[in-house]
Formats: sequence, C-alpha cells, structure tokens
Amino acid sequence: MKWLNGWLDRSAEFSTRGIAQRTSRRGFLGKFAGVVVGGAVTVPLLPVARSQDNPAPLEEGDPNSCEYWRYCAIDGFLCGCCGGSVNSCPPGTEMSPITWIGTCENPVDGKSYIVSYNDCCGKSSCGNCLCQRNEGDRPVYNPRVANDINWCLGTSSSIYHCSTAIVIGTALDE
Amino acid sequence: MRKIICLSVLFASSAFGQLQPEPTGRIESLPASYPESWILLQDGAFFHMLNGKVIVVDAASDDSAGRVKGMFNTSFIAQFYQLKSRPEIVIAETFMSRGNRGERTDVLTIYDKTSLAPTGEIVIPPKRFSAMPTNYNLQMLDDEKIGLVYNFTPATSVTVVDMIQREYLTEIPIPGCSLVYPMAGRAFASLCTDGSMLSVQLDQDGNQASSSRTAVFFDANNDPLMEKAAMIDGIAYFPTFLGRVVPVDLTGTEPKVGEEWSLIGNEAGGWRPGGLALTATDSSGRMYVLMHPDGYEGSHKDPGVEVWVFDVKTRRRVDRIELGMPAISIGLTRGDKPMLVATNIELEIDVYDVASGEFQRTLNDTGAQTPFLLHGAL
Repeated sequence: MKWLNGWLDRSAEFSTRGIAQRTSRRGFLGKFAGVVVGGAVTVPLLPVARSQDNPAPLEEGDPNSCEYWRYCAIDGFLCGCCGGSVNSCPPGTEMSPITWIGTCENPVDGKSYIVSYNDCCGKSSCGNCLCQRNEGDRPVYNPRVANDINWCLGTSSSIYHCSTAIVIGTALDE
Repeated sequence: MRKIICLSVLFASSAFGQLQPEPTGRIESLPASYPESWILLQDGAFFHMLNGKVIVVDAASDDSAGRVKGMFNTSFIAQFYQLKSRPEIVIAETFMSRGNRGERTDVLTIYDKTSLAPTGEIVIPPKRFSAMPTNYNLQMLDDEKIGLVYNFTPATSVTVVDMIQREYLTEIPIPGCSLVYPMAGRAFASLCTDGSMLSVQLDQDGNQASSSRTAVFFDANNDPLMEKAAMIDGIAYFPTFLGRVVPVDLTGTEPKVGEEWSLIGNEAGGWRPGGLALTATDSSGRMYVLMHPDGYEGSHKDPGVEVWVFDVKTRRRVDRIELGMPAISIGLTRGDKPMLVATNIELEIDVYDVASGEFQRTLNDTGAQTPFLLHGAL
C-alpha cells in the first residue's frame, strides 16, 4: 500500500491536477498494438512501423516513480516494484504481446519516443506502485490509445499483474 | 477466580430470567424492491481483482454496522446490471479454472435480490471486455429479455443472450466500434473510432437483421465524447473532454444526433468534466456531472471537486454541489429526495443531500476497498 501512503501524505498539498498526474487509486491498464499469428506471438508491429532503429536513449529519473518520463500514458502497477523492471516482467508471469503505445518526451534529449506498455500477466494484481497518467489517453472506443483496458490478451492467462514501459524507437514527426 | 465470576454471572442471570436457546441456521433476506436510500457499491477490487464484490448499503444510515445489508461476489473486474422488470441483478464475470491460471470461463451470473444468492448462470464466449467497469459493457434490450455483453479480443463484438431462457444466442461483430447502448425494441448502438455511431437491429432470434451507421459527428482525438453517457428518457447525453454535451436520441432503432450544448457556459476557471463514473441521473431526469477546474490535456479522469446539476431540457445548470473531498465517481439514490453519493479520493463514500447540497455522512467500514461505481438501488 505504498501508493496509498503516498497519496495520504500528499493530501495536504492537494491539487486536482497534481493528484492525477502523480498517482491514482482507480488507475488501470491499457496498451495496444502487436499481433498474434496462428497463436504464435510476434514482435509488435503496428505503430512500430512508424519508428526508427535507435540505440537505447540516455535518460534520467527513477523508473519506480510515477513521474518517470516513460509513464506519460501508463495506467497500472509499475513492474519495477513487482520483481520485474521497466522493461521486463516479474518471474513467473507472461508478457502480453498486444499492447498500447504512448508517445513520451524524454527530457534528457527532448525527443519523443514510442513507449510500449506491455502488461505482465498470469498472476493477480502486484499491488505496488500504482501509477496513472493520462496524457494522450482516449476513451475505450479508441483502444490503441485507451489505458482503461486490460491488455492481457494473447496470453495464456487474462489476469493482470503489472505494466512495463518499453522504449521501442523514436517517434517520427506526423 | 474465573469460576467465581461465572457463578456470579449465572446468579445474576437467574435473578432476571435467563437467555433462551436460540435457533441456529437463521439467514437474513432482503426485500425484492430495495428502499430508496439503499445503494450498491461495485467494488472492482483493484488489488485483488479475482475477488470483487457488490455491497448493498443504506446510504441514509448513521449506523456504520447496520447500514451494510449484504453483498455478493464478482470475479475479475466484473460488470453489473440491475434489472428493472425482475428482482434480479446480473453480473458479467470471468473465472480461471485454477484461480489466476487455467481455462477461462466467462458467465453471466444472475443473483436474486432477496437472497443475494446466484440463481442462474449463462456461459458466454470467454472474450468479454476486461477493463475498468462502466455501465455500457453490459446492457439489456426488449424489456430485459435480451442481454448484450461487449467483447474485446481486441476484435470487437457483442454477445447476445436470451435472459428468459437463460441461454447464449449468438455473437455479432462490430468492427471499429465499441460498447453497447440500448435502443428501442431489439436494437443497440455502439460508439466508433471514426467518430460515428453504429446501430444494429436484431431479429426475434437475436441475430443481426440490419445495421446502419451515422455520419461522423464527433472528433475522437481532439475533443472526444466520453463514453460514460448519462441516459435520460432514452437519450444518451455524452460529455466531451472539453465540456460540450452531445445528445444522441436512442429511442428509435437508429441513433439521432441532437444539437450540442455546453456544460461550461460562461463559467471561468477552466472547468471540465472528469472522473471514473463522472455522470449520473436522478429520478426526475436531471443530469449530474463531476467537474474539476483548471483542466488540461489528460485531466479527463481527474477527481472532481464539484458536481454540477443540469436540466437537460432547458440545457441549463440548475445547481452545483461543492464536495467536501474530491471524488472520482458519483451516483444518485432514487426517489423524490435523492442523495448524491460520491467515491472520494480516500475511496470512502460521501453522502450529500441534493436539495440542500449539504454533506450528510461518510460511509466507511462497508468492506469495499475500491468502490469504482455507485448504483442507486431499484
């Protein structure tokens, strides 16, 4: 319940905007893009086609903090607080191949990166480090940009555990 | 010493009569029509989703123990529907055969309102929409003879169920569209990514008889309709991110998009609608919307600090209720003297008298941990 304590600690400095940006108790999943072909998982394809190959970006910040730049559109438990990391799932879980992708600006280089919020599935809620930020989030009828959705799809279990934030390339200008 | 105390208690009891043996096995029951002041807290159990629940609570009671009337279980961020024509509650839920793993089974579970016991179950395709609960994932048509469940794999479709025979009928694809909004007879509508609405008309067997699509009438990216419409007399009032209202008449078999109006009017301060369950209606047909100031891109799920009340016929705000603590979801009790109930940011339920706007009480100790949705009891 670390998130809860954080919430209460901050209640004195409440501002509507601040609370929603930093944490939330109602947050949930969300993510999109990728394919399952004949039951076999492949690398996500959809928005990735718009990205460029790029070395790992230089970045700063705490990946287990909701303020971390990659989490601009995440909604769920941060896997780094659950035995995984920002780009890996905790032991014994399964990474969803289907996800939704946010576009977040890395403050170090000022570039916008495509971030894939793959969920880790097959165990019940991690319960640690709940984080919800809604920059670019849209209603569920626009699923590729809707973070209210459980994206444990295409996995052997539908049960949601935590979410990663994997940089998969730089975003091209529209 | 203990014996002495026991003996003295017995002596005292005999002096004033003694307790009679009580029957075991007593189980309480509830009325088929719940009192107006009761609400149902839909606890999505975000921290243990396989063990959700709906709790029946008297929002007018200051007795923190006695106001809890009972509960029933729901599995994995279930969807909820309260029937109007029968004393039943329907839950769309998901089970894995080994708890968090194994074979997935999705069912509609039918609960009796008096016993709070499951009285029926309809197995449906294991693809129901798994997401934060809203009211438009599970709906009923044709005097609640037909049940509709929205599916997402991420291909989108609707499962059609016969609620009288309690059997699965068919699945209808709705590519590019989502959710189910009930229409007249055996028709339903769905919101589409391109900014239009799909309507599907079913035949007597529940199969698709026809469908149609409106013209594009909203911008799904720049000022999207919030899918959490307030439904009043068959008209869906969709707030938008920026505070417009787009009414869509669903009383026929094809949606009719009405003239939009503004929630904000001339109000300064950057007010916008926001929250999880941010709209509600009362028995007289007024619309309640959770609002926050200083809106910005991404604030559409922020807690609200006021609830604005609208007469949708005159399109005017008729009241504003200042919340003691910001809230993420709201609901109304039914009847002429409704209470506004709000899930505050500490995830307790605050109760306000709508007529005066005054805070009445906080419902804590209900057993709910994440009461996402609040339903006025029928």
